[in-house]
Amino acid sequence: MGRYHYVFPKWSNLLLPGALFFGATFPLYAVFVVAFGFSPKTTDVGYMPEQPIPYSHALHAGELGIDCRYCHNTVEDAAHAAIPPTQTCMNCHAHIKKDSPLLEPLRESWESGQPVRWVRVHDLPDYSYFNHAAHVNRGVSCVSCHGRVDLMEEVWQEERLSMGWCLECHRNPEPHLRDPALVTNLAWKFDGEAEAEADYHERIRDQFAVNPSQDCSTCHR
Amino acid sequence: MLPKFLLPPIPKPPRILVIVTVIGTTFALLPPAIAARMRSENSREPRIHLIQDMDNQARWKAQQANSLFADGRAMRPNVEGTVARGELRTDDHLERGRVIKEGTEVWADTVPTGLEVSEAFVRRGQERFNIFCAPCHGWSGLGDGPIHRRAQSLVDGSPTLSQGTVWVQPKNLHEQIYIDQPIGQVYATITLGARSMAGYKAQIPVEDRWAIAAYVKALQASETVAETMIETVATPAEEN
Repeated sequence: MGRYHYVFPKWSNLLLPGALFFGATFPLYAVFVVAFGFSPKTTDVGYMPEQPIPYSHALHAGELGIDCRYCHNTVEDAAHAAIPPTQTCMNCHAHIKKDSPLLEPLRESWESGQPVRWVRVHDLPDYSYFNHAAHVNRGVSCVSCHGRVDLMEEVWQEERLSMGWCLECHRNPEPHLRDPALVTNLAWKFDGEAEAEADYHERIRDQFAVNPSQDCSTCHR
Repeated sequence: MLPKFLLPPIPKPPRILVIVTVIGTTFALLPPAIAARMRSENSREPRIHLIQDMDNQARWKAQQANSLFADGRAMRPNVEGTVARGELRTDDHLERGRVIKEGTEVWADTVPTGLEVSEAFVRRGQERFNIFCAPCHGWSGLGDGPIHRRAQSLVDGSPTLSQGTVWVQPKNLHEQIYIDQPIGQVYATITLGARSMAGYKAQIPVEDRWAIAAYVKALQASETVAETMIETVATPAEEN
């Protein structure tokens, strides 16, 4: 030992390249973690809350082919697409599966007059004013924002619903346009070649004068 | 040429340094791994909302819950026994499908004044019929819609499957008694329901109920129309 006690050991030569490597990679790592982990694709998409009744859209809208508007009947006239009142369920379930244990909350609501406490899946910030009627009446299908709900046993959030995501379509709406008579046909795809499809979308855009604004005040009023 | 200290043999660092580096790297991999898992799976947990901004403000949107009221509704129902301004419905022809003829009240056999039976009106009725009526009555009105077929299969199945299903086949709208019904009575059935059918006045606005009634009359006529009256009409598919 003696005077060698104060000499750095040989391995300390690793510290400088190690620190350089850390200094170079850590900022990249931090950016990656924030971009990947804090994106709405991570934090919001896939939200599938447990509902008081395990209502299956796959059965009702998919297999039985009930139109979205049978239940969400305000969607063409109002900003808000209504969650149906208990009465709408009882149109059928006063007769069908009326002893089902899964429908107990429905019967309870029917007898007491208290609404079924459905849990909201799609929730925009309170300072953005989305209008369903303005979109569906001009040929933007439910599927563009809600995904293939007709195939979902339980509904989850399919899209990001972030501002950047809204603007993608407001900048280039054409791929999302179709004949408004087809908006609730979630399985619909244009049948034809890419060129004909582009023409079709452009025609719909012209016909309904779809000119989405990107002004702040369009959504933030 | 690399500097000399980077060339092998690499001096062996103390064990503690190796352990700290390995553990540190492992922990650094956790956040991306958790994020990757959150991206690939649906979740019951509430959305993660780190930056609140003013996303949830102290106000209520349509159909939200508000604990301020005993029934928990933020939207207030009409006070019983009151009529909101502009909601007083006194036009019997329009609202109830009834008219006075020779001193007695009878079913209207015309649509109310103000509504015009045009092709657009009947097409609107067709669209609304397909949304609200076809699930039970079928797209052609024969009483064979998908809900009927589903309910019948439940009744025919085991009791564990049917779970108390009681089912009467929806009416075939092409039966003579429905063909003979005046349009006002068809309108009233849509509005108030009949037997096991529920009324649809809460789901369908009044003009649309008349449009559906007009379409039902057109649908009935289509079954008995003479061949000579049929014009060749381009189907929407051909128009595209």
